[in-house]
Amino acid sequence: MPTDHLSHILLAMQAIEAAGIAHVLVGSLSSNVHGFARSTKDMDLVIQADRTEMDRLFAALGSHFDIEPQGSFETITGTFRHVLVAKDGRFKVEVFNLSQDLHDQERFRRRLMVNYPSLGARVAILTAEDVIITKLRWARPKDLEDVRDVIAVQGDRLDSNYLHHWTALHGTRAKLDEIRASIPPLD
Amino acid sequence: MDEDIRKLADALYRERVLRARRTPPEERILDGIRLYDHAVELMRLGVKSQHPDADDSEVERLLIGRIRLSWKLSDHGYYRPA
Repeated sequence: MPTDHLSHILLAMQAIEAAGIAHVLVGSLSSNVHGFARSTKDMDLVIQADRTEMDRLFAALGSHFDIEPQGSFETITGTFRHVLVAKDGRFKVEVFNLSQDLHDQERFRRRLMVNYPSLGARVAILTAEDVIITKLRWARPKDLEDVRDVIAVQGDRLDSNYLHHWTALHGTRAKLDEIRASIPPLD
Repeated sequence: MDEDIRKLADALYRERVLRARRTPPEERILDGIRLYDHAVELMRLGVKSQHPDADDSEVERLLIGRIRLSWKLSDHGYYRPA
């Protein structure tokens, strides 16, 4: 039996699949795959779509979501954001256009396709490394907690060279090392 | 931090990590969605407790207001209007 908010996610995923739009789930839906489960208050999605495809997607979602007329730019990468609020007002889907930011492009290229029947569709998620790199840039308290948890859960499976490359470019390497050092011994 | 408390915190964290490693990723996604369902229900109980005379539609209106506020707080400083 779907939960209240799972039903919103299912609707959005089905619409994206039907529209054939390349996408990747970001935010907590991706970080929960690689770390601890924390409350998923919205669905964040990066898509690669032209205007026609986006209009088709929004039309398909229009009976279940209100599309906020005013878009916005995310201040870190300049990505354009559309906000869709479920008709019951309790859940939102944030749709970001794939930007020209180098890491935005790279994480999209490396996205993982996974088959999660409970989400009703084949979905794309970020790699664990790209969750860490992204969240180090955002750096809100909850993002840094997610970074610590993903590092702890993934352990030796993380690609350190890839992490070091991007965190050096973004100036977040010191924060990465600080978080690593804060994790207690696990084995 | 007191040494005993730090050891306890580390042991609890270690247990959380090991449990997460045992939990299938798809289940962790569903857990996150369920946690939000519970959070909204707790928020509703909080609204009812603070407004015992409110009818269901008023409780719903206040609940949506709180949810919107939490979104604003989370987004603050990260977006600018197009």
